[in-house]
Amino acid sequence: MKLELSTRRSATVEAAYAVGLPAALGVVTLAAWQLGVKLFGISPVILPGPSDIAVSFNGITGDLIHHAWATGSEALFAFILSCAFGLALALLLGSSAVAFEMLYPNLIVFQIIPKIALAPLFTFWLGIATTSRLSYAVFISFFPVALSTMTGLKRADANALLLCRALGASRWQTFFSVQVPYSLPYFFSGAKIAATMSIIGIVVGEFISADEGLGYYILRAESYGQTARIFAALIVLCGLGLLLYVLPVQSERIVRKWWSE
Amino acid sequence: MDGFIRVENISKVYQTGRDAVEAISSVSFLANEGEFIAILGPSGCGKSTLLMMCGGLESITSGRISIAHTPVTGPRASVGVMFQDSTLLPWRTVIENILFPVKIQRRPMAHYRARAEELIEMVGLSGFAYKKPHQLSGGMRQRVAMCRALVTDPDILLMDEPFSALDAITRDEMNDALLDIWDRYRKTGLFVTHSIREAVYLADRVLVMTRRPATIVADVRVPFGRPRHNSIGGSPEFNAICDELRSLIEHKRAPRWNGTKAA
Repeated sequence: MKLELSTRRSATVEAAYAVGLPAALGVVTLAAWQLGVKLFGISPVILPGPSDIAVSFNGITGDLIHHAWATGSEALFAFILSCAFGLALALLLGSSAVAFEMLYPNLIVFQIIPKIALAPLFTFWLGIATTSRLSYAVFISFFPVALSTMTGLKRADANALLLCRALGASRWQTFFSVQVPYSLPYFFSGAKIAATMSIIGIVVGEFISADEGLGYYILRAESYGQTARIFAALIVLCGLGLLLYVLPVQSERIVRKWWSE
Repeated sequence: MDGFIRVENISKVYQTGRDAVEAISSVSFLANEGEFIAILGPSGCGKSTLLMMCGGLESITSGRISIAHTPVTGPRASVGVMFQDSTLLPWRTVIENILFPVKIQRRPMAHYRARAEELIEMVGLSGFAYKKPHQLSGGMRQRVAMCRALVTDPDILLMDEPFSALDAITRDEMNDALLDIWDRYRKTGLFVTHSIREAVYLADRVLVMTRRPATIVADVRVPFGRPRHNSIGGSPEFNAICDELRSLIEHKRAPRWNGTKAA
């Protein structure tokens, strides 16, 4: 009993450390920031203090929600499309040797292109509306899903594949009953990257052309010299990113449960 | 039926660039129906390759293998296999894993489900049918693999060092479990192992394989009947056969070290 009590206490202490230490660092950083801005008399246009940013939320909350919705819904859509497209491509490459030989080296080369630089082309080809931003976001997000799922398909347990052969399993049976389930963890690690990339894609798209969304809001605030509002929008973007990231994390948790319960 | 499995003069040559490596050199043996044959040899002597060739999972460079008068050209439906690793699918329950061959070979599920349950009972896993592999110990997982190998009632069982990754105590238990299975279902079995005692304890005949050239140097009959009791392990007769096999392996291995490391 005593032992259990002591381990429980150490767990509490550990949890306090896990939450307390990063939180303490955050608070200290904010305080130093605030102090620095006041001490050196830095103009709020160059660098607003945390208090300025907090105050700036006043009166723009409605605006922020409106723009966050525009960015968030497009990013969510882009994320879903990236997962579907990436998964489909991986399944195609994993199931056909010809498709693999033909596409895989090209995909790798494609992957090397700094894709941010291609964003203007999408506006050029697809116009200035949602389609363009969405396509661009999907374009930069589906690679990680496709590549990591591909890796997973190739990493299926060698003995399980041998077992399938011994049982006379068809290629499709082996593919769907062994390779695909084994590749799921890899798919999720790709999907986590896609979740962050989708938001980046939409915001970059908004920088180039948009009449709403947080990227648009940031550019507009910048042109008016409202730096505090830029920071406020950045905070909302972080929140959106976290929300989107929760999707693959939770789905993975569900799949892991299926694996282990 | 004599010569249920006929292995006739088979060789295996691996081509690596310009070099050709002979992994197996003119191996022949016959296995009668219902016979349990252990293939004994040091690691890397090609005994697993030989087993895989019998299962149609590995190509034969020359010679031929036939099972029930039919040449082996590829995997055959009526073969059960066991590997060193249990190779269970982690997301499937015990019974789903056991029924995996049934699903793959599109056999009637209801019929084999009853058999799967019987096998689970037989290997002492009652109450574990709906557990996932990670909830089982290594020995239990290998029992599940044994049930999976038997579920479709194959006439041949190919076992590639199935217990060599287990600890000594679990391994002994598994040997006894396999003997029970054998008494009940009586298959024709090929069992690859590098444990002399395991080979003698389980098999009706022990084929001794050596390295370079990988070939069968002896075919030793084990004079114990079935059902076997684990007390045979302590008998002088048992130990005499083990000694004989050990000297066969060591004698054949000696020339390799001749002059340099003669022990």
